[in-house]
Formats: sequence, structure tokens, C-alpha cells
Amino acid sequence: MSDLDALFSALAASARLLWLVPLLPLLAAALIAVRLLLRRGGGDAGEPITAGIASAAALGALLLLLVLDLAALGGALPERVAFAEWLRIGAVPVRLSFMLDAYSLPSATLVALIAWIALRFSATYLHREIGFQRFFLGMCLFLAGMLLIVLAGNAVLTFIGWELAGISSWLLIGYTWERPVATGNALFVFLTNRVGDAGFMLGIGLAVWSVGTLEWAWLPGDGSLGKVSARLLAAGFVLAAMVKSAQLPFTPWIARALEGPTPSSAVFYGSLMVHAGVYLLCRLQGLLLQVPDLLALLAVVGLATAVYGSLCALVQSDVKSALVFSTVTQVGLMFFCCGLGLFWLAAGYSGLHAAWRAYQFLLAPAYMHLVRRPTRPVPRWLATRRWWYTAALQRFWIEPLASSLLTRPTLALGRDVRALDERFIDPLVGAPRADEYPALGDPGDELIRGHGLAGRVLFNGANRLQRLENRLLLSGDGVLGKHLQRAAHYADAIESLLEQPRYLMLMVMATFVVIL
Amino acid sequence: MAELASYPLLSTLLALPLLGGLLTALLRRAPWAQWIALASAVVTVLCSLLIVATFDGTDPDFQLLESANWIPGIEVRYLVGIDGISVLFLPATALLFCGAIIAGWRISPGTTTLAPGVYLALLLLLEAATLGVFCALDTILFFFCWEFTLLPLYFLVSLWGGAGGRQAAAVRYFLVMLAGGVPLLFGLLALAFGHAEEGQLVFDLPTLLATPLPERTQYIVFLLLLLGFGVKVPLVPLHTWLPSMAMGAPAAVTALLVGLKLGAYGLIRFAIPLAPIAARDLHWLLAGFGTVAILYGGVAALAQSNLRSVLAYSSLAHVGLVLLGLASFSVSALQGALLQLLNFSVAAGGGFLVLSFLHRRTGSTDISQLGGVMRSMPRLSGFFLLFGLAGIGLPGTSGFPGELLIIVAVLHSHTGAGLAALFGMVLAAAGFLSPFRQAFLGPLRNPDVAAAEDLLPRELAVLLLPALLILAVGVYPLPILEVIRPTAEAWVAALAGL
Repeated sequence: MSDLDALFSALAASARLLWLVPLLPLLAAALIAVRLLLRRGGGDAGEPITAGIASAAALGALLLLLVLDLAALGGALPERVAFAEWLRIGAVPVRLSFMLDAYSLPSATLVALIAWIALRFSATYLHREIGFQRFFLGMCLFLAGMLLIVLAGNAVLTFIGWELAGISSWLLIGYTWERPVATGNALFVFLTNRVGDAGFMLGIGLAVWSVGTLEWAWLPGDGSLGKVSARLLAAGFVLAAMVKSAQLPFTPWIARALEGPTPSSAVFYGSLMVHAGVYLLCRLQGLLLQVPDLLALLAVVGLATAVYGSLCALVQSDVKSALVFSTVTQVGLMFFCCGLGLFWLAAGYSGLHAAWRAYQFLLAPAYMHLVRRPTRPVPRWLATRRWWYTAALQRFWIEPLASSLLTRPTLALGRDVRALDERFIDPLVGAPRADEYPALGDPGDELIRGHGLAGRVLFNGANRLQRLENRLLLSGDGVLGKHLQRAAHYADAIESLLEQPRYLMLMVMATFVVIL
Repeated sequence: MAELASYPLLSTLLALPLLGGLLTALLRRAPWAQWIALASAVVTVLCSLLIVATFDGTDPDFQLLESANWIPGIEVRYLVGIDGISVLFLPATALLFCGAIIAGWRISPGTTTLAPGVYLALLLLLEAATLGVFCALDTILFFFCWEFTLLPLYFLVSLWGGAGGRQAAAVRYFLVMLAGGVPLLFGLLALAFGHAEEGQLVFDLPTLLATPLPERTQYIVFLLLLLGFGVKVPLVPLHTWLPSMAMGAPAAVTALLVGLKLGAYGLIRFAIPLAPIAARDLHWLLAGFGTVAILYGGVAALAQSNLRSVLAYSSLAHVGLVLLGLASFSVSALQGALLQLLNFSVAAGGGFLVLSFLHRRTGSTDISQLGGVMRSMPRLSGFFLLFGLAGIGLPGTSGFPGELLIIVAVLHSHTGAGLAALFGMVLAAAGFLSPFRQAFLGPLRNPDVAAAEDLLPRELAVLLLPALLILAVGVYPLPILEVIRPTAEAWVAALAGL
């Protein structure tokens, strides 16, 4: 027995190397990037090396994690290890700390395993593709991000992983970057995810000030946390989880994300990244249990997403879309479990689902050969209900709705602001514009020229003074009337400037400043 | 190091580019004039690194002080020194100028018949003035350097600028900056007179800091300085010179102009600590300007049709975040703000350098003229992507720690503005990635783009250094933040102690 204990404690010593687990894929990504920069490793000869670097890193991480798993089984592993300080926010240190509990270790092992399999699969699947190296670069970044998400001991490290996963998904959805559709989808997905990232950042900020720590282990506080601050704090993280796991109303991004190569879809949206939200909720369970109304919201959102996903899945005509919508359904159910407080169930569910879905997605390109039966028609009960059928086909119009409510107004605002700059602020500040700058060879009889409001006021003032002088000195009739007319003319000009619709914009901004 | 500290390192740093510039101007016709310019820029970088090495990161006070009488009658002194706030700006400036000089190696003559040596000499002159702004501890010396930057900039832009209205941009910049100099000078004079005891004017910063003004005067001084620096920052209604300069100036000069946020530095160094009560009372003004800049710049960047004006507007949003951080008056936010300023000098500077390379190849940075740049210039596109991602604060780049520190602090002090900054995060991502998609990805549309060659080794070397800096600071930001910390703590303590 003591031999076994000695073995376990020897294994547990490898916890000191834990930082290597996310670092290995990161180093692999860096190595591939350097080779890409030096234009090495293109062509058939370079492919095995690139793929080898990536899968070696994944395998290394996997083996290290397996050793740690074994040590954990023997009970020789601490729940949390911390290394050097990385950053300090006021008095709150951010360490390189990692969790090694029953949530993180199995998840990390699964992540490394699925990623390793997917990398091995891609080595042949992407043979002689132009972006071979780029693909493996993105995959390694993603693996590093995902391992950070599940292993991180504090919110900032998780956030780093969260964003790494986001940017690598941008890279891989836009894999065929010459097709505008692919890059458009990549942009859409990244921006939707960025909304969740903003929520995550909000959670981090509130955690620093209301709890005074960023470590997941102590985040729930000692029970003294006020209801309101606990709710706000949790709300930020829940928003992040909902976006990453494509829950309503953020679901549309996931269907667009399928643009990337199949192996990346498999690990990102089929099995791993889509579960990151569930994982985050499980990490936060101590906090979430303090705010039952948020839990209720999670249950409702999860259930709604499950219904939505299953309805949409029924009417899809290609296998990847059908798979991704059924993934959404299952993840919705996991959210439902979390909402009921059954976090252990959601965690186990997500692990099993990830494994199964990865297999299905990797198999997806081969379904054409494997399936002999004709495709299954849309079930009768749905096909006969015209409204439901249309709604499912249109994916419940979420995307057009978001586009007309958010995207288009923002872009219109952008154009307005540009016009404001060009038509209003420029003339007001009195800067000479390129088009009205006099040609150098044609000074005319003009001695000076006023630009913009400031310039013109000065210019006209000077002119009028001069004219006044002339009149007073040289002649004396009709001066007053003419000047009054002129003044009225200027007043008109100023008024028409003020009437420009851009003023409304300025008012809105001013209100913003005052409110804050 | 001890014997080094007594050596006049800062004066050497200021003299190097000045001498190099004069020499280059004298020998402008010689084929090796450019090498003199490059050599003096490189030696300046080394000197600035030496200064950072000599700098004692645990001491919050001014270091490497050098003092000499300049205008004895009114007590104006040549007083230079550095502290944790300014020390890191020196290598950032020197590196950026080094990059600009290499980028301007074969500058197209534009409309001028002057030798390219003159261009490099003007750049070096500008470098000396800019370094002077960061080192000066005497308000008049500071003002002198501040205004002196205008002269070389005017000639650089009006002689070597792009076709898009370089004359107009140069005139506008010069006039707007001169106008901004007026309230600045009044503010500095008000400070000098406000401290005048026994009829003695005070211009040196340490004395000014030690004896705060009466409260009434502080408001006047703060508002004057805010206006004066605000033109350069730029604050929102005064910002239109920035996009026009970005379009009109040679891209490498824009890199300097946008990369070196002198206005924000002025606020940190002078406006806030010299009028602490007013600054603390008017924090909402700073926060409001910051919020407006974030939203305005972020939204305006979405509607731009040229990559240069896209970068100009997103840098407006960046500096808005810095202002917001300053308004929260906390150590971590100030650290974040300074880190963010340094990050932008590398990221925005690097971005504009890339655009200058792109402009030289394709003759345009207009989005509609590009498309598919990734096909013919993958390396160039990769660097631009990295600089852009650092600009939007992606973790792993130097943009992230600064943004995190600022937003966390602001969420506490100005929650509403913090939420606006979070929204700005999303806007910034859209404002960079959407133009990137249109200009660099997609099918090739323009034969000029298709025929262009990728980065030359010289250009690769210029870009590699900022790229490595971005990644290194992004991976391990603590050392830089620790250098800033003691001074930042003293800065905040002086504000809170009132």
C-alpha cells in the first residue's frame, strides 16, 4: 500500500509542470507561425512536420494530463495550484493558478484527447490544401485556449482562453479567406462572441470590486455578498456563457460557424467550444446558487433553446447543419440542468455529448457513402403546420431581427458621424478642405481667404471693418441699411448651419455624458 | 551603473538625434547621408535602453535630473529628468523613429526637389523635440519642445505628403496646434504666476508639484491645460485634424503622430497633478470626453473608406479609453493607461508603417482599391493583423493587460462609462476586422495589388521588433507594470491626499 502511495505522490509531483499543458500547444502554434513567416514547411514535404508539431503538442498535453488524472485518483493531488504572479489589479493579484478538481481534470483530458484525434484526422483530411499550416496554427491556438478555459484557476486566465478560442474560431471559419461569404461569417461569429466577452469582462470587473478576488475557488464569497452585486456579477458571466454556448438569442452564430473545414467544426462547434459555457456555469455554481432568479432564467433559456434547436434541426437539408442544431438542442438541455441546480449532471452530460458529437462530425463528410437510405423527410406534424414550418426554416427570424435592430442602426450611425465630421465639425473648426484649397497658380485678386466658421467670421469682420472705414471716410449714404441687410444674411447662414440634422446626434452624446 | 547615473544621459539622448539631424542636413547630397541618419537613430535607441537600464524602478521620484540656467532673468531653466511615467516612452519613441527612418529609406520625392536626406534630417529633428517633451521638467522648456515639434512636422507633411490634400492637412495641423498652444501657454503662465512668491516666477515642475495652487486658480489652470492638451489628444470636437493628417501626411509620419500620444502624456504629467483639486472635481469632464471619444471613434471607424482614416478613428477610441482610465484616479487604471499608451505607440505605429509599405506598393490605402492583399502579400497582411489585434486588446498581445486594468477600474469609479467602454470593445473589434476583411481578404480585384511583392527583408526587420514587443508584453506584462507602479502610486497618493 505504501508503495502505491509513494507512486501517487511521485505522480503528483508532475503538478508542478501543469503550466506546460496549455503552453505546449501555444509553443506549437508559435513554431508553426515562425515556419510560416520564414516560408518553411510548404508543400508535401512540410506537411508531416507541421502536423507532427501540432499533434505532438496535443499528445504531450494529453499524456501529462493522464498522469495527473492518475495522481488525482490516488487522492494525492491538491485541488488548486498557483505559480507566478502575472498581473496585479490594484490589490488583487492575478496568478497563474490552475484548478485540478473533478470538473477540470476530466474536461481537460477530454479536450486534449478530442483535439489530438481531430489533429491526426486533419493531417490527411487537409492534405495539399493551400492553408494547411494556417489551419494547424489555428487549431493549436484553439487547443491552448480551450485547455486554459478548463484548467484556469481564475477568471482572467479563463478569459484569455476564452478570447484565444474566439480568435482561432475567426481564423478557421475564414479559412477560405478568398470567399467573401466565409470571411463574412467569420466576422459575424467573432462579433457575436465579442458581446459575450464584454459580459465576461464585466464579470471580472465586478468580481474585483465586490468580492476582492478573481480566483474561481473563492469567487462565491463568504455569503456576505449582497443580493444585487451577486446578481450583477453572475449576470456578466452568464451572458458570456450564453453567447459561447449559442443559447437564445445568440444562437444564429453557430450555424454560420460551419463555414470552416470539417475537423475544426467538429472540435469547435460540435464538441468542445460550444460546451465552454456549460463548463463556466459549473465553475460558477457556488455563486449561481445564491441567485435563484438567474437560475430560473437559465432554465427557461435552456429549454427555449432546446425547442428551437430541435425544430430547426428537423428541417435542415445538409448534415452539418442538422448536426449543429441538434448540438444546440443538447446544450440547451444542459443549460436547463444548470438552471435546475444539477450542475454535476450538466457536466457529465457535456462530456458524454462532446465525445459522441466529435465522432459524428468527423464522420459527417463520409455520410454520403455510409448512408444508403433516402433522407428522412420532415415529420408530418411539423410539415402540416405551415407557420411553424416556415418559422423553423427561417430559424425564427432571429438574425434579420438582430441585423435590423443592432447592426444596421450602428452602421447608419457610423455614416452619420462621418457626415457630421465632414459637414459640420470641419467647417466649424475652420480647416481648409482639400477640394477648396486654391490652386497654387491662381491667386486671383484674393489677398486672404477665410475657412470655416472661425475663419469666415474673422475674414468678414476684417472686410466689414475695412468697408466701414472706407464708407465713413469716403462717402456717407445708405451705409446702415446695407449693413443691416448683410447682418440678416449672415444670421440666415448661421441658422441653416444649426438646422443640420447632425445636431440631434450631438444632443444624444451630450446626454450620455451628463447621465454618466 | 552608479557612475552612469552621474553622467548626463538625458542630454546625450536629446543631443544625439539633434546632431545626427544637423549632420544629415549638411551632407544631404552625399549617398551615405541616410546611413548617418540611421546610425544616429540606432544610437539613440541604444541610449534610451541604457537609460531604462539605469532607471531605478523602485523610486517614485524624478531621476537622472540635469539642471542648467537657460534664461536667468525669469528663472527659466534647462531641467530634464524622468520618472516611472515617462521612462518607457523614451525607448518607445526612439524605436518608432528608427522604424520611420527605415521606412522612409527611399521616400518618393513627391513634388519637392529636395534631397531625401532633408526628409530624414527633419525626422531626426522631430525626434529630438519629441524626446524633449518627455524629458522636460521645466514648463517653459516643455512648451518650447511641444511647439517645436510643429515645425518639422509641417515641412514633412507639406513637402512629402500624399496626394490627398497634403497642403491642406499641413496648414490645418499647424494652425490648430498653434491655436491649442495659446491656452496651454496661458495655463503654464498662470501656474508660474500663481506660485510667484516674493515676485519670483516658478517654472520647474518639482517645485510646482510641491506647492499646490489656491483652489480657484486650479480650475482655471486645469481647464486651460485640458483645452491645450485636448487639441493634441484629441478630444472629440477638436479631432478632425487627425483623419486629415492620416490621409495627407506620409504614412510613416502618421505612425509617429498617432503612435506618440503626447496629449495624453501632457494630461498625466502636467494638467492633473498640477491642479489636483480641480481635476478631482472635474473627473466627470475627463470621463465624459473619454466616453464620447470611445463611442464616437468606434462608430466613425465603421464608416471609413480608407484604411488610414480607419486607424485614425480607432486611435481616437483608444485614447478615449486612456482618458477614462485617468478619470478614475486609481493606481491600476493609471498603470493601465500608461501601458495602453505604450501599446498604441507600438501597435498603431506599426500599423501605419505597414500601411506605408502597402501604399508604396499599390499606390493607395483605399479599401475599394484593395482586396485580396493576403494573396500577394501574406506576410504584410499577417503583421497588419497582429498590430490590429493588439489594438483591439486581444489577450496574448500587449493591448490586453492595459485594457483590462482600465476597464476594471472604470467599472468601479464610473460604472456607466465602464459599460460604454465594454460596448466600445465590441465596436473596436468590428472597426478593425471589418475593414481588414474588405481590404486584405476576399478575391483580388486590382492588378497593382496582384503584382505587388511581399515584405522586403529591410521592412520585415522593421516590423519584427514591434511584433515581438507586442507578444512579449502580452505574455508577461508584470515587469513593465512594476516599473510604472511606484510613480503611479505616488501620483494617485498626491491626488488622494488633498
